[in-house]
Amino acid sequence: MSPDVPAPDGGPDADVTSDVADRIRYLDEVMAEIDAEVRRRRASGDLPAGLEQELDELFLEFSPVGLQGRARLRETLSLVDGSAYVDIAVPTSSNKAVGSYVKRAIRKGLGWYMNFVVAQIVKFAWSVSRMFHVVVDHIEDLEATVEANRSPDLPSGLVPATPTGSTWWAPAAVDALVGVSDRVVVGDCGDGSLVEALTAAGVDAYGIDPSDIALEPALDRGADVRAEPVLGHLAVVSDEALGGIVLTGSVQWLRPNERVRLLDLASTRLVVDGILVLHSSSPAAWAATASPVVRDLAPGQPLHPETWAHLLRSRGFTVTATIFGGDDRQLARVGAGAADAAEVNAAIDAINDLLLGPTEYLVVATRER
Amino acid sequence: MKLAFVTPRFGTEVIGGAETAARMLAERLCLRPDWEVEVLTSCALDHLTWENTEPAGSTVVNGVTVRRFPTASRRTLDYFALDGELRVAPEIASLAQSRRWISLNGPMCPDLVDAVAESDADIIACYPYLFATTVDAIAVSKVPVILHPAAHDEPALYFSAFRRSFRDIDGLVYHTRAERDLMEDVFKIGARPQVVLGLGVNDPAGGGRRGSEILGLGDRPYLCYLGRVDEHKGCGMLADYFARFKERNPSDLALAFVGPVSDAAPDHPDIVVTGTVSEADKWDILAGARVMVNPSAYESFSLVVLEAWTLGVPVLVNGACAATMEHCQRSGGGLWFDSFRSFESAVGRLVGDAGLRAVLGESGKRYTARNYLWPSIIDQYTAFLEGVAARGRRAPLRTTRLDLHAGGTAYVRTGGGGHG
Repeated sequence: MSPDVPAPDGGPDADVTSDVADRIRYLDEVMAEIDAEVRRRRASGDLPAGLEQELDELFLEFSPVGLQGRARLRETLSLVDGSAYVDIAVPTSSNKAVGSYVKRAIRKGLGWYMNFVVAQIVKFAWSVSRMFHVVVDHIEDLEATVEANRSPDLPSGLVPATPTGSTWWAPAAVDALVGVSDRVVVGDCGDGSLVEALTAAGVDAYGIDPSDIALEPALDRGADVRAEPVLGHLAVVSDEALGGIVLTGSVQWLRPNERVRLLDLASTRLVVDGILVLHSSSPAAWAATASPVVRDLAPGQPLHPETWAHLLRSRGFTVTATIFGGDDRQLARVGAGAADAAEVNAAIDAINDLLLGPTEYLVVATRER
Repeated sequence: MKLAFVTPRFGTEVIGGAETAARMLAERLCLRPDWEVEVLTSCALDHLTWENTEPAGSTVVNGVTVRRFPTASRRTLDYFALDGELRVAPEIASLAQSRRWISLNGPMCPDLVDAVAESDADIIACYPYLFATTVDAIAVSKVPVILHPAAHDEPALYFSAFRRSFRDIDGLVYHTRAERDLMEDVFKIGARPQVVLGLGVNDPAGGGRRGSEILGLGDRPYLCYLGRVDEHKGCGMLADYFARFKERNPSDLALAFVGPVSDAAPDHPDIVVTGTVSEADKWDILAGARVMVNPSAYESFSLVVLEAWTLGVPVLVNGACAATMEHCQRSGGGLWFDSFRSFESAVGRLVGDAGLRAVLGESGKRYTARNYLWPSIIDQYTAFLEGVAARGRRAPLRTTRLDLHAGGTAYVRTGGGGHG
């Protein structure tokens, strides 16, 4: 099945995005068919095994070893296996008539010596090869175990959009970061408006977001943004390279181990005195307002601000501000003239405190050590 | 705004992805009214010998002012000895060893480095990462320096001397996201200003001839490889795979290698090797191809893939090459192989299914039109340069210039070449 080919003059961006997605889906289908055919032919044994290995090794010979990571371990190992044997039968052909006789004589004369040395080299190579097999087996077992225990990511289609710049907390984030001289990264920056607000305030800011589509408006406006997830990005930043970090969006549904990793990275990537600004929904608001599907499938859930403060302090941060905001969901108190006003208002206050508190909060922290 | 490119060699005669990319950017940027562009480069055109073949001084190449400086030494055999020693475990080579490697890799151009130090440009753009001119320019520049790494996963990338040098870069311009991921992973430079720019594609400029006629193939269908015919580019593997494919799938399909021949040309009755051809012939041959095959695993951008797509010709690429895979996966414009089996299946599908070729070719064409047209590329580039220039030189200038290792036996080219 091939994708419908839209009119040559293109169309709105949404159509273009959909068209690209269709074409990539079609490509995936074709490659899946090719993979299936490869497996079918391999199973049929229509190529001698030795020849097939030789052809595969030819491919590996011109490939960067390990470029594809774990998927290539077995192939790379087969390359090691193929190289572990040293042939002492030196070619003796020659363009000169006498050359071949001389070479054969040298080969014969040195054969006992070469045999002795090569036997030890081959033994060593095979030992190393066997060791690699054990290591690869072990790694694959570990990978299988990790994969079985890993909770799946929140499906990308369910990830809530984060219009960072238009939210209540953007001015507070800008205030917290004004005057920072090193670079500031805005994680899950969405349409890039907070990045632009920071830049307008004289901050050397840039943004990252895992979604290409979310970034498109920012890219069209020429903002300094790029498509990267926050954890992956902080992993490729050197220590003390950042003056500020803004975290929002996915920080709310990270897995517990990812949250620990994120905080460890943030605490090393920030300079001493660097500022961390963290925005999140409150757990109660998340439970009340996020869709049931998102809540059920999210690998983690938002923390209370006190918990973030605790985690940050344990990593050398001082929390300088916790600001609450978001939608006002609180019930209005009844007027003093209403029947049983005092009791009703007490009940309303209790409900507001327990269930209808602030929906979002902002934690501002400074790295002290 | 004035930009000075620093490249190890420069000229229309230079065939090479990074060098061509630098020239294409320079030629288009100097047409912008508010931009002045100059290129600081060596007097050498041959990256294997660094022999001074061009006169020192200023010339103009396709509208770009080019200032050439003599290399202080030819490449010596010491380079190959050290390269063999270090490439096995580049990560553990000492800083001194890796700086010596860069120096021996050359080209060492002391006058060029002095010119960078005294440059009146607002910003310096070094291209590519691998050479002494880049490391020295980063060390001495007083104005912001950006790097076009043109990097791929190779042993030299892991030398500590590059890690030390790249701390002092003010911005990076990448060909692909795969290149950015690689550079950020190796050098932990994710916080630096950067842009994934790529390159623009020229409009097809064929001469109206049939490609098969130029190749002497009559009406036979053919696959086409475009670029330097070189073992390191996977050409030997492609020839072997194709020969095996023909044994198992008899037909009149041919394969054309189109480009300068570095290594011994593949010898097979169904393989045509053209050597260097005119630009018009290149486009005509490409237009007539059933599929453009790029078997190289070491591409940092691969302009030829985009050129094929401008003509609606689908591509087949090496599944181990991050850059060409990224193009295919983002566009839906080509297939890939990672074994003879998948090569055989993919070629079989592509050659036998005109509908598949049309869809892939159209997908590639749309991707190229959306992302790689020159005006928007230059707009992005100038905006990035202005941003980096406005931030100023941030690097602490901690590295020093490379030492010149004079003496040693000069390397003499004996025909084929595969280094660099």
